[in-house]
Amino acid sequence: MRRSFVNTESIVVLAGAIFLIVVLPCLNAFTAPQSWLHVSDFTINLYGKYLCYAMLAISVDLLWGYTGLLSLGQALFFSLGGYMMGMYLMRMIGSLGQYREPIPDFLVFLGWSNLPAIWKPFNSFAFAMMMAVLLPGGLAAVFGFLAFRSRIRGVYFAILTQALTYAACLLFFRNSLLMGGNNGFTDFKFIVGYNLNLSATQRGLYICSAVALLFVYLLCKWMTSTKFGKIQRAIRDSETRVLFSGYSTAHFKLFVFVLASLIASLGGVLYVPQVGIINPSEMAPDHSLEAVVWVAVGGRGTLIGPILGAILVNGLKSWATRAYPDMWLLFLGALFIFVTLFMPSGIIGLPGQVRALKKKIQDRGRPAPPSDLTGAAPLPQPVPANSAAAPGRNASKPG
Amino acid sequence: MKFKLLFGALPAFLTVFLAVRAASAAPSAAGESASGTNVIRQELVQAILGGGGQRQALLDKIADSGSGVAAGILSAWTMQEVYLYAAPDGSTIPVTLESQQDAAGTSRAIRIDDGGFLKDASGKELRFGQSDLNAAYTNIRLRRQIQQALDTLALSAADPQARRAAAVKLGYSQKPGYVPILERRLAKERDPAVKKAIHVAIATLQLGGPSAAVQMAAVNELAALKSVGSLDTLTRLAANANNNPQLENRVKAAINSIQEHIRWVQFYGTLFHGISVGSVLLVVALGLAITFGLMGVINMAHGEMIAVGAYTTYVIQNLFGSGFAFSITLPFSIGGKAIAFGLNLPGLNASGWFYQSYFLFAIPLSFLSAALAGLLLERAIIQFLYRRPLESLLATWGVSLALQQIFRMVFGANNVQVSSPNWLLGHFSLDDVSLDYNRVFVVAFAIVIVLGTWILLSKTPLGLLIRAVMQNRDMAGCMGVRTGRVNMLTFAFGSGLAGLAGAFLSQIGNVGPSLGQTYIVDSFMTVVVGGVGNIAGTVYSALGIGTADQVLQQLTGSPVTGKIVSLVAIILFLQWKPGGLFAMRSRSLD
Repeated sequence: MRRSFVNTESIVVLAGAIFLIVVLPCLNAFTAPQSWLHVSDFTINLYGKYLCYAMLAISVDLLWGYTGLLSLGQALFFSLGGYMMGMYLMRMIGSLGQYREPIPDFLVFLGWSNLPAIWKPFNSFAFAMMMAVLLPGGLAAVFGFLAFRSRIRGVYFAILTQALTYAACLLFFRNSLLMGGNNGFTDFKFIVGYNLNLSATQRGLYICSAVALLFVYLLCKWMTSTKFGKIQRAIRDSETRVLFSGYSTAHFKLFVFVLASLIASLGGVLYVPQVGIINPSEMAPDHSLEAVVWVAVGGRGTLIGPILGAILVNGLKSWATRAYPDMWLLFLGALFIFVTLFMPSGIIGLPGQVRALKKKIQDRGRPAPPSDLTGAAPLPQPVPANSAAAPGRNASKPG
Repeated sequence: MKFKLLFGALPAFLTVFLAVRAASAAPSAAGESASGTNVIRQELVQAILGGGGQRQALLDKIADSGSGVAAGILSAWTMQEVYLYAAPDGSTIPVTLESQQDAAGTSRAIRIDDGGFLKDASGKELRFGQSDLNAAYTNIRLRRQIQQALDTLALSAADPQARRAAAVKLGYSQKPGYVPILERRLAKERDPAVKKAIHVAIATLQLGGPSAAVQMAAVNELAALKSVGSLDTLTRLAANANNNPQLENRVKAAINSIQEHIRWVQFYGTLFHGISVGSVLLVVALGLAITFGLMGVINMAHGEMIAVGAYTTYVIQNLFGSGFAFSITLPFSIGGKAIAFGLNLPGLNASGWFYQSYFLFAIPLSFLSAALAGLLLERAIIQFLYRRPLESLLATWGVSLALQQIFRMVFGANNVQVSSPNWLLGHFSLDDVSLDYNRVFVVAFAIVIVLGTWILLSKTPLGLLIRAVMQNRDMAGCMGVRTGRVNMLTFAFGSGLAGLAGAFLSQIGNVGPSLGQTYIVDSFMTVVVGGVGNIAGTVYSALGIGTADQVLQQLTGSPVTGKIVSLVAIILFLQWKPGGLFAMRSRSLD
């Protein structure tokens, strides 16, 4: 059964990758706008955004689903990557801003006439990309080192990462940081010489996002299937046992934390040119929590789950915020509660749950449609025996 | 217990608080009696009609009375608005004109001698335009006399605050002629704060005084009084006193001692602010210390429980006023019919002290409504998640989102207006340190609820059960404790405390749908720093974080930077003490 699941997964991934990387862009580029097959620029842009969110979701999952570390600060690393890209893009505006000055508009507004020193190297794309690795990675390394060294874990880790992103959010709101304050960066024009307003550029960025996502997926897939991945899951299930078996869990956790921050940062780097804006509200604590919802909805402890969750929940959000702007938050809240209570292993675990329920019903000899599941309010602990149990809960789970 | 240490200072503090309230509540000046007013009116008439020699004596007499009536008429006189009416019988009646004019530009005349309207023989009220009557005589000298009488009148006003303000104003007038007036008043003055203000005013006037000896004495006086207000005058004097090195040294020493005093005032002011901010944090975090600290449930909807309490206060206030109504129309329809529901509660239309007392009803009701909300939350969701703390975080965050949206739909997206009752407004000064009543109240309130919580947890049978279940849920269950019920009650109690916090926050800040979000990160940090599972730790950490926050705001000069620094400091602090201030010692792993 396990083997067949892997096969199913590779087929799904292959089909999904071909669809996202080849089919969608082709439908956008080579079909006439009137054709029913045509995919609009808007849709391409929207999907590009979803795929970047999917990278953020994978970074959450790598920590939460695989290592048992719930980080409520992943949006911070996502935004830091985005800000580094944003700084480069701001420099590429050149003198085309509102004030026709060679420095970014908000600096003119703040009374600067020369470029501040921290902005100077961002003329170079390579430097910006280097910073998009070094800054989130460095922050994750320092914070992770301090946190794991003093054995902060579980809930405390979640709350501390939330405090970290909250502090950073407050910091970026300040104008004196010279990062655009409240408004952040926007009104971008060019990226490495290409005009961002052309649909070809946007399509290119979309393909980059899809390829990057595939790369992240494959990297995580490979990593979690090695011995390293086994230790990762062992830490999730019982950190103390791993520690007593002679592994330095702090180092493993630190590595995963830094890697996850880099994945999030990559998502942010690709997100900003497609969305065209980055501001401090992107690193507000709720954004990180939202990313956790995507993972929970999709199914944590898997790699397809977060991608699926990010695309589905954001698609739902795009639709619901237009159709029922007042009710969207109610809806999201209800979804959250429902998934936590009744679908502990997300959409990916749903078939398993249904099978378990069927079996239970057959054992009782009382036939009932499995669709009862969705409306089943009075199930106190509806975790079926063979679905993936909550991390850290079932120490004897086979790795 | 640690609580003994903590509450050692409580009685002393409460005594000070009560004493201060009593002092300010006592009537400080008797109202003007009708007969006294009548005498003054006669004197005013004599002064207006009489000759020059008599006037000064009369004005002095009037000035000493402190009468509000006299102040109004005297200032009308200097502005040439006292008119003389030549009565048919040959006498002259001084009058003022009512400000309300009719279409022809005329208004009724008010007699100065009895305050009634001027009538003719048939009893009909007479009306005049401003040009119909002659204004009472004044000249520059007389106006100066009247002005002096007015200033003296202000010095003897019934309200001590007004007397103080008048003394301060005269002190800055730079006219040494006021010194005798002030000294006369000083002999009669009883109120210590006013007395001090008059002393300062006299000394400030004497700084420009006739001789160096007087100046010297004045400087010494100001230094002894630590008068913050005279700092500017002293600085100016120091700059101009070059020809007298002795005086200059003395002035500089006085300036130093006053600046030292200002630093202390700022220090105590910051400390008090810190303690009051810490108390707010404590009230907010105490509920969390129970649900998170004791029960281990991460309730991200705790902030919304605070908002429930705050909105309850708002609703109660409206019920005492003009009533409360809301209606929601759902954005979709079923069977072509729009779904709408709403509620319309009539108000009591209360006023006066009864309306002011709404807050007393709001406090217990906000506790109850938040406790009820917490009870429902526990029964519906949290009871399934006791063994999955990280997931309780996610589910309750969903609750928090949904509740915020419900607040938005019921109460609107904007902040609602909750007016503080009169008895929480205003402030009093303790040696130049200004203490707001609502801040003092929050400190007292925090003490009361910490005390209440402590009594509940350590002195009642329920508290014993709560502690047993929190220490070991399974073992308590084996001993026959109905753990489900205890959990439910504990969670409801923790949520109710959040509701109390909300009732209080409605008095010192805005009430809006995202009220809870402002406090949620801070209160989690407070509990974590204090040490999970330890109420005393929460008390210390709330006061510590509150004070540190205020001090850092002062040092960095910006609230946001102060906040960032304190968050980073907390993260570093947990490096040093990962279990918080008072870590629970346990042999268990995980």
